[in-house]
Amino acid sequence: MLKGIWGSDWFGLFVVALVAGTGLALFQPAFLSPFNLYVLLISFSLWALVAMAQMVIIAIGQMNLSVGAIGGLVAISFAGSMEVWGLPVPAAILLGLAIAALCGLLNGVMTHVTGISAFVITLATLSIFKGLNIGITEAQPFYGVPDVVKAFGNARFEGLPHMLIVPVVAIILIWLLFNRMVLGRQMLALGANRHAAELSGIRVGRVVVIAHVISAVLAAMAGMLAVARLQLGQPTIGDDWLILSFAAPVIGGAVLAGGHISVIGTCLGVVIVTLINNALVLLGIDPFFVQLFLGGLILIAVGLNRWRERRLAPA
Amino acid sequence: MATATTGRGGRGALGLLASNEVGLALLIAVLVAIFATVNPGFTSPFNLFALSRVMGIDMVIGLSMMVVLVTGGLNLAVGSIGVASVMLGGWAMQVAGVPVLPSMTLAVAFGAFLGWINGQLTVRMGVHSFIVTLATMSLFFGAMIVATRAEAFNALPRSFVDLGKLRYGGFVSGMLPLALIVGLGLWLFFNRTSLGREILAAGANPQAAELSGVRVNRTIVVAHALSGALGALAGLMLAARNGAALPSMAGHIGMGWLLPAFLAPVLGGTLLTGGVVSVAGTVLGAAMVTIITNGLLQLQIGEFWVQMCLGLILLAAVLLDRARSVIAERRRSVA
Amino acid sequence: MTEPVLAVEGATKSFPGVKALDGVDFVLRPGEIHALLGENGAGKSTLIKILTGVHLPDSGTVRLFGEPVRFRNARAAIQAGISAVHQERNLIPRMSVAENIMLEDLPERFGFVDYAAVNERALLWIERLGLAIRPDQPVRSLSVAQMQLVEIAKALVLEARILLMDEPTASITPHETEVLFGLLKQLRDQGAAIVFVSHKLEEVFELCDRVTVLRDGRNACNGLPIGELDRADVVRFMIGRDERTAKLGDKPVDAADVVLRLDGVATSLGHAGIDLELRRGEILGLYGLVGAGRSELAKALVGIGGVTAGTVTVAGQPAVVPDPTTALQRYRIGYVSEDRKGEGLILIHDVGRNIGITIWRRLSGWLGWLGEGRARAACRPFVEKLAIRTPSMGQKVGNLSGGNQQKVSVAKWLAADCDILIVDEPTVGIDIKTKTDLHELLWELASSGKAILLISSDMPEMVALADRILVMGGFRILGEVRNDHDYGRMSTAIMGHIHAAEAA
Repeated sequence: MLKGIWGSDWFGLFVVALVAGTGLALFQPAFLSPFNLYVLLISFSLWALVAMAQMVIIAIGQMNLSVGAIGGLVAISFAGSMEVWGLPVPAAILLGLAIAALCGLLNGVMTHVTGISAFVITLATLSIFKGLNIGITEAQPFYGVPDVVKAFGNARFEGLPHMLIVPVVAIILIWLLFNRMVLGRQMLALGANRHAAELSGIRVGRVVVIAHVISAVLAAMAGMLAVARLQLGQPTIGDDWLILSFAAPVIGGAVLAGGHISVIGTCLGVVIVTLINNALVLLGIDPFFVQLFLGGLILIAVGLNRWRERRLAPA
Repeated sequence: MATATTGRGGRGALGLLASNEVGLALLIAVLVAIFATVNPGFTSPFNLFALSRVMGIDMVIGLSMMVVLVTGGLNLAVGSIGVASVMLGGWAMQVAGVPVLPSMTLAVAFGAFLGWINGQLTVRMGVHSFIVTLATMSLFFGAMIVATRAEAFNALPRSFVDLGKLRYGGFVSGMLPLALIVGLGLWLFFNRTSLGREILAAGANPQAAELSGVRVNRTIVVAHALSGALGALAGLMLAARNGAALPSMAGHIGMGWLLPAFLAPVLGGTLLTGGVVSVAGTVLGAAMVTIITNGLLQLQIGEFWVQMCLGLILLAAVLLDRARSVIAERRRSVA
Repeated sequence: MTEPVLAVEGATKSFPGVKALDGVDFVLRPGEIHALLGENGAGKSTLIKILTGVHLPDSGTVRLFGEPVRFRNARAAIQAGISAVHQERNLIPRMSVAENIMLEDLPERFGFVDYAAVNERALLWIERLGLAIRPDQPVRSLSVAQMQLVEIAKALVLEARILLMDEPTASITPHETEVLFGLLKQLRDQGAAIVFVSHKLEEVFELCDRVTVLRDGRNACNGLPIGELDRADVVRFMIGRDERTAKLGDKPVDAADVVLRLDGVATSLGHAGIDLELRRGEILGLYGLVGAGRSELAKALVGIGGVTAGTVTVAGQPAVVPDPTTALQRYRIGYVSEDRKGEGLILIHDVGRNIGITIWRRLSGWLGWLGEGRARAACRPFVEKLAIRTPSMGQKVGNLSGGNQQKVSVAKWLAADCDILIVDEPTVGIDIKTKTDLHELLWELASSGKAILLISSDMPEMVALADRILVMGGFRILGEVRNDHDYGRMSTAIMGHIHAAEAA
């Protein structure tokens, strides 16, 4: 049991996160202030969903460049439908999820039917979704977000932001999907060896499409949370998700070629990125360093993963 | 300048017509005819000058991506490298007082160096260049921002800024011939040198190339360095056009270049899986993208819808290309 | 006579450049083990792939219990009660043995995978196959033979009425084979219909009831009872009557001129204590089962997978080969890979570019300049010498037939003009005529002073060509046989070494 934890993908990360957190708490008492923790959890909520959205696609051995564009499109549709059409909040949420499902369906069906790499397809759809976003908003935000949504974005319970519930539920469901459900196991089998999955009678097309829909829905949730947090439907939501969406799963030990991901690892990846961001702010380090750190972190994580793989590989 | 690796043995005139390059050229002709008829302003010398200038820059950006696609890899950091190199060049010109030509050489060399880093990391770590360049795109851009404090160099020497105003025959920007010369050089490199051939072979099948005595890792590093140098060149062209070296000129962490960078080679028939290159296709692909963008902007479509149109075009192009190869395959197996 | 469970009538299937199946008939009855034989490229795998839903036939019908069926994908075939052991590896390395075995149909409880049931049901088949592994062990921790058996368990667990086994014994030991055969016979007696594809005729005669042989995509025979045939008949069906034996003249071997010598070589791939001497003008055979470490040894010699102990001597000088480039340029060693498509050729490039790759550096001038005309001209003599049938140097290699592809991958090394040529399974999957051509070519190359290390699992080929045969197993040299070109004696001697090693 202990050996299992030690050898797991995420144990090292857990230690890193713990040490980083403790270090920060010791050197910067402000770190443990309720407000700072609240801010941390808010950004964790958003990033975790973004990272999961990409992780699901990494699991099947593809990549989804359009995660941010879907998030952005859903965000402005969500805010816009409430402001312009006066849609009630639940209806707007449903609309957002439906748009996302449609986007995911488009990505999935096209990659599967045409056999063109997901990279190219999602590059094109990234441009289409983002283009729709800009076309609809003319690059201006929707300000008319209902108070309920704004309140949800600000609400907290004993220091915990209400919106944390969304990623927590999503993470549990995704964990169950990949570790306990046939569909998730089929996704991993497909990501590891597509041909073998086909010969084992797995409906590859169906699994690919579902993965893309799940990914899009997760991105949509992140987009709507972003609206609640920013209190407006900003067209630029999602623009800066790309790097993080890959960084967290890769830091968490995902194999980019497919077939292996770690839900807990990805979450810890998000935690580590959030902590570093927070540290830079708290320690008064130039915020410009954030990019530098994120880039370096990805390289280190990939390097470590490779090193571990080589060490574990039978001689 | 057909697809470099395949002689079109036995396919004849019909085969040539069906080739990607000819298709693109015809499409461009049709587009130009439509835009020129609908909007006379399209063919005004002023617009043609602006168009040819952007076209030249986008061609070099596309070629910069192409040389890495050939290896079966990607370079997401083109934009970051371009901006980082130009900021160094701008600093050399404006602050350090280095003459223009050495400064430009420095910028290109620095671009090549950053590309070399990408190549080395890819080869040493044995991971796909996607993840490596994803990281370095953030890394290079972050380092550039930290070094420059996000400030522009907007007092560049006259002689450099004048390069952006160079025009031939009254309406062709000097940028376009420059891009075409770069393209020709790359065509010769991939078709008429042993190293270029080896890069193609390694891109198509690294195991086979390695066993045939090709140093595959070296070809990857060379391709990345070349890509970096071309990215820097594109950056210089852009800076000359803008009259300033701006940290923001390739968008957020250089991602603004990614769409043109992929559009041109993919439209031109360069395979993402590597081993097949079409320099002419990339050049034509870039030309088409610029013409469409320019034409749509002129047509009052509204700048806000241009990006979606480009996305739709990319999608349509890859779907058509796919359909074409499927049909060709079927025909061959029936025969 | 019982009703057939499965009947194929006039199946035809074309791929770009080849007609893989041309009106093939095949009838499978319940309670039989039916051998499907043929040379590589004869169409066996295509037929199997049609029956498992990987390919659809262009024409012809497949009847299951008399009803015509068309399997659009593997799932449809599985649901119709056909399960298969495929030739290629189809396991998910990171998943457990049990999950791999049960992947077709993972048992669920309340919407979640019931891992207890997965392990329990998998364990049953693990035990029946005599495998000493745990069901929850990850597949990537297994040996090649164990993986092959897991692959078999994966097919058996479906308890299908029809079981297709494509080369199931390629990488398992005789003992494991025996257990497997016992199990297959038991299943047959319970009424299952089994199709058995193998290259090992001994196994076919031991196990099977009837035989269908394919040759060049057609039936050479259709469901003959095995009792009515002997080995020679089957071979005649497989290779046709017009077999031409290679004309091999006298070939002097200069025993004193050792061009390659290994002393106690160990490699990072797992070889140990390898001693070997290869002489000028000699063809040295390296025989062994799949997984014996032959190709790996070849790769280590050209610098892929390092030599960790012992010495390699090339032409009398101690040699260190860090990579294939050095092997080619400094030591003049070439390796013709067994994996033509994966490692030998660049299918999307043309003939000229495939052959020329080894000599571009030598041909190019200032700044690496190399004109297309000059490059192609240098390749042309080899296209002619090997009689490669291609419309032009500009033809994509992927569009050539298997035999011509193999000639291209050999031509590349002729162009490189190596002194030592390692040739790995040179005639797998190619037609008889090309095979004979290649045999003559290898013989001629050796006669002209090259040293050839021939890796082959084709015993007749080995016996025809080699001067000496080294038998390999478990990444070690098991013994040496001096070839007197008598098939019976040689095969007994070779198998003797393999069995002795297994018994030890």
